[in-house]
Amino acid sequence: DDDYNEDEIDVSDLRERFEVQLEHGYDTFVVIDGLPKVTEDQKPKLVKFLLRKLNTVGTTREDLIYMPMGEDGKSLSFAFVEYSSAAEAAAATRQLDMVPLDKKHTLRVNKMTDIERYGREGRIDETYQPPKIDEFTQKEHLKWWLKDPSGRGRDQFVLFRGDNVGVFWNNEKDQPEGVVERPHWTETFVQWSPKGTYLTSVHAQGVQLWGGQSWSRQARFAHPYVNMVAFSPGEKYMVTWSNRPISIPDEGHPALSIDDDGKNYVIWEITTGTPLRSFANLDLAKPEEGRPPPKLQWPAFKWSADDKYVARLNPGQSISVYELPRMNLLDKTTVKIDGVVDFDWAPATVQRDGVKEYEQLICFWTPEIGSNPAKVGLMSIPSKEIVRSLNLFSVSDAKLHWQSEAAYLCVKVDRHSKSKKSQATTLEIFRVKEKGVPVEVVDTIKDTVINFAWEPRGARFAIISTTEPVGPTAVAPKTAVSFFCPEKTKGTTTGNFKHLRTLDKKNSNAIYWAPRGRFVVIATVHNQQSSDLDFFDLDFEGEKPESDKDLTANLQLMNTADHYGVTDVEWDPSGRFVATWASVWKHTMENGYHIYDFRGEALREEPVDKFKQFSWRPRPATLLTKEEQKQIRKNLREYSRTFDQEDADRGASADLAVVEARRHLLNEWYEWRENMEAELAEERER
Amino acid sequence: MVAMPSEPCQELTQSPRYNLDGDIIFSVAKDQHICAWYSHNGERLGTYHGHVGAIWTVDVDPTTTMIASGSADNTIRLWDVKSAKNLKTWEFPTAVKRVEFSEDGTKLLGVTEKRMGYLSNIVVFDINPDPAAEQTDERALTIVCDESKATVAGFSYLNRYIIAGHEDGSVSQYDAKTGELIDNIPIHELNQPIVDLQWNADRTYFITACKDKSAKLVAARDLTVLKTYPADTPLNSATITPKKDFVILGGGQAAMDVTRTSARQGKFEARFYHKIFEDEIGRVRGHFGPLNTVAADPTGKSYASGGEDGYVRVHHFDKGYFDFLYEVERERINRMS
Amino acid sequence: QEHIDTFARKDIIEKRKADASKIQADRDRENARQKMLREQALAEAEAKRLAAEQKEREEKRIKAEHDRVRKEEIKKQIAELNMNDKAIELDLNDIDNIDTNRIRAMKLAQLEREKNDVNERLRITGKRIDHLERAYRQEEAKKLNADYEK
Repeated sequence: DDDYNEDEIDVSDLRERFEVQLEHGYDTFVVIDGLPKVTEDQKPKLVKFLLRKLNTVGTTREDLIYMPMGEDGKSLSFAFVEYSSAAEAAAATRQLDMVPLDKKHTLRVNKMTDIERYGREGRIDETYQPPKIDEFTQKEHLKWWLKDPSGRGRDQFVLFRGDNVGVFWNNEKDQPEGVVERPHWTETFVQWSPKGTYLTSVHAQGVQLWGGQSWSRQARFAHPYVNMVAFSPGEKYMVTWSNRPISIPDEGHPALSIDDDGKNYVIWEITTGTPLRSFANLDLAKPEEGRPPPKLQWPAFKWSADDKYVARLNPGQSISVYELPRMNLLDKTTVKIDGVVDFDWAPATVQRDGVKEYEQLICFWTPEIGSNPAKVGLMSIPSKEIVRSLNLFSVSDAKLHWQSEAAYLCVKVDRHSKSKKSQATTLEIFRVKEKGVPVEVVDTIKDTVINFAWEPRGARFAIISTTEPVGPTAVAPKTAVSFFCPEKTKGTTTGNFKHLRTLDKKNSNAIYWAPRGRFVVIATVHNQQSSDLDFFDLDFEGEKPESDKDLTANLQLMNTADHYGVTDVEWDPSGRFVATWASVWKHTMENGYHIYDFRGEALREEPVDKFKQFSWRPRPATLLTKEEQKQIRKNLREYSRTFDQEDADRGASADLAVVEARRHLLNEWYEWRENMEAELAEERER
Repeated sequence: MVAMPSEPCQELTQSPRYNLDGDIIFSVAKDQHICAWYSHNGERLGTYHGHVGAIWTVDVDPTTTMIASGSADNTIRLWDVKSAKNLKTWEFPTAVKRVEFSEDGTKLLGVTEKRMGYLSNIVVFDINPDPAAEQTDERALTIVCDESKATVAGFSYLNRYIIAGHEDGSVSQYDAKTGELIDNIPIHELNQPIVDLQWNADRTYFITACKDKSAKLVAARDLTVLKTYPADTPLNSATITPKKDFVILGGGQAAMDVTRTSARQGKFEARFYHKIFEDEIGRVRGHFGPLNTVAADPTGKSYASGGEDGYVRVHHFDKGYFDFLYEVERERINRMS
Repeated sequence: QEHIDTFARKDIIEKRKADASKIQADRDRENARQKMLREQALAEAEAKRLAAEQKEREEKRIKAEHDRVRKEEIKKQIAELNMNDKAIELDLNDIDNIDTNRIRAMKLAQLEREKNDVNERLRITGKRIDHLERAYRQEEAKKLNADYEK
């Protein structure tokens, strides 16, 4: 059971880039050409006339039409128009373009973003090439990389630097071994599918998946101007999203139909490459005066652990659950939950105590409405039955954190006092697999908890808290890192969660657990002053302090490293290595990556100009049965002997090769010098 | 280690140069005079006054009798080392960015700046080695660089070729007698200027330093690139060490070019590479700004670096430096003895 | 005449007597003064002696206090060392002969040992994790082709 945990995909950097694009905000604008030239006096008449046409496809107003005037006092025959939504603007370009205004004038309507895009770089000819239907060929083995040809069980990673994308074998201290390298492989970023089968490249025309030993294209999904991609955990489906509504040209689109016009999301089936259903963006609530606009929720469509359902939140109202692959709304109706703020699927299929039927679990929460308390609910799908709910008071915010096996759900509740002056956080832990789903309140933390992370496949967690208000400050707030673990019990049950240790006066702001638990890196990322990486072991095999004797952890700080300017941290899928990098997407200082071993010993530091992205290739669940794994553990000593011998031999032969190469270089050099000196002597004679 | 501060202002780019005996260092900066120093203790020997603009370049003849300098005042000047007398002044329409004596001291070469419609020229004068003698006004040769501006140039072994490095990252080989262009080869990244060119002792090969963050060892005979030394910062200078098979690279990004002013970010270190194996073997810190020039002592005892921080630093090598050998080098020495 | 002589003698005698008495008185006064001086000197000497004794006692007390604190500190340090590592045995009775520098050095050595101990344990852990992963993958690789056939 080696399941890749989708929660661990860090999309923060993608989100950031996407948000930058939103700021352009030209999607609601169109440019109208071909208007008659009018004087200032005639202008209002023309605008009124134009408005009638414009409002046939959407909503705009007189003051949203900007018609620039030339130096001669006459208009310039074009105008900018802002519609109330991007979908309307898209509709205008389709329906009003080439519409005659009068006998002499014909409207030309273009999206502002298109003019930006095509006008600027002469990219007009960059049209979509329809895919050739390949004849059936024997498919490549897509899992070939699981068998490291060197027999050393190495992992792969992808590097994106400058315009180059390359995949490499991790060679620890040594130069990584190149597997494939292609310039301009992607336009914006790369992304592995959750089991590592595909490498995703993202282009203006859509998304492509690559894999197999030849790194050939496995699939393409023509979603124009796609911004984001999310896979289902089983790699059966994916959702693509573009900030721009899809616009189907008159001559049609190779993959999408007119039904997809104006939509932003497309759900695809990966093996067939077909779109299953598309959706438009939800209207985001208008931000309050002076407030930043609401952030886009990503992923907006969330998958159940078994790829059977996908669901989307309609904030404040309901959750829409769709059944795959038909993409029909479950029971033809949304799940109405008044006030619902957030929801999340259990990341694993849980066998609840005493429950025999198939089910997937959804957790959600609603805030206080009037005199009704805030609520956290656990719902069983497909029955939509609430299996557990919890009432909470004085709630200012809540965050839902599933443990990777869905054994526990922690709801981090930010509470305010009656006066709303002071803040505190409580952690409400649902023991999902225990009878009746008991809820344990772990602790009341006086400070604001800014980060929470479960140990994958474990029952321990770490939090980061701060006494200082969270907000954009020049100096990062002082933080404290706390570890919690269950008490020891006699039986197989998990004991009560207890505070293990707090380390204060830190700047840490991020928690990275090893994918199989036990080890954790507490880091300070995106920080000008500090860039510490603290490597902890929670099952240190050494003396245990007397005070912790009843706790299921033995905490040991293994090492502290410093990677100046670090922006991202990622464990390899085996939990043996940690990569840290400073991406040019975030800042331009000392870009490049480092590789550490699990205990924080630096193995490799590689500064790379214009370094963008590092990503370990995920691995699917192991093919080994529990029994086989047990057998291997039992015989580990024998394996160890072979590995030790192999490593020693390889070290020796590598050294030998290096020495041989140097000897060659030395001889070559001195030969050249002797030649040169002889020639020089000869010429001096003359 | 000896540090020689320039005076009075520290915002000066320093460019040191050793004489052949390695006991005297001549340094120039933008403060319009040349200084001579004892390399072993940093004591000042004298100064040479006369230029009326920033001095870009200085070179000393093989007998330490005369030095030549090139300046933003559009002149090359020749000086008597002992008396500090200005022996000769040649005037040009633009600044002089580089001067260099031939191996035997009988020729002097200058590289003039491209500006105000003037192309960059490589000019050559015959030099009378007697300081008391009258020097000629006549140029022995003028090479007009119309393809890409020459930034650095020098005479090869036996005054056979003039080798120039260009702004476009290429190197040229000219016939030193006729000035005819024999070959031009792009050895560095396109349009990344070559900013330094220094010779080995017999002038059969040279090292280039380039803004493309690399230095290359090139054969003078056919411009073959023999070795490449990649660095992680734009380079300003590179030099070949006698006695040991090393090269020293200097560079760093100026404070104005980096987002944050810090020695860490600027990478203001002298980097040592193994000349033959191309491995980086060490770094020496000490400057607070980019290294403008690195120069190896011709006797192999020390090296000097000039920084934009206004200091010339002279580092005397210790025993560890001389003892450092790769296993295969030791093996070769044992075999030879 | 005789009477006159007698008177004269009497006068002389009287005078002598007076003289003698004066001399005696002077002598007595002088003796008394001498005695007083002697007593005064004695008293001063005694006071001085007492003061010196007092001072000595005070010094002794301070020294004892110092010793006590130092011993306590050493005991504490030793206790710490002993708590963390049973291998170090120091004779607490021999406390006067223990050099604090030596303790500091021992403490440093102990920290170093602890660090080495942690590193050694982690090295073993690391090797086991690496080998276990490699063993799993080696065995899994054997099943990959069959998986592909599926």
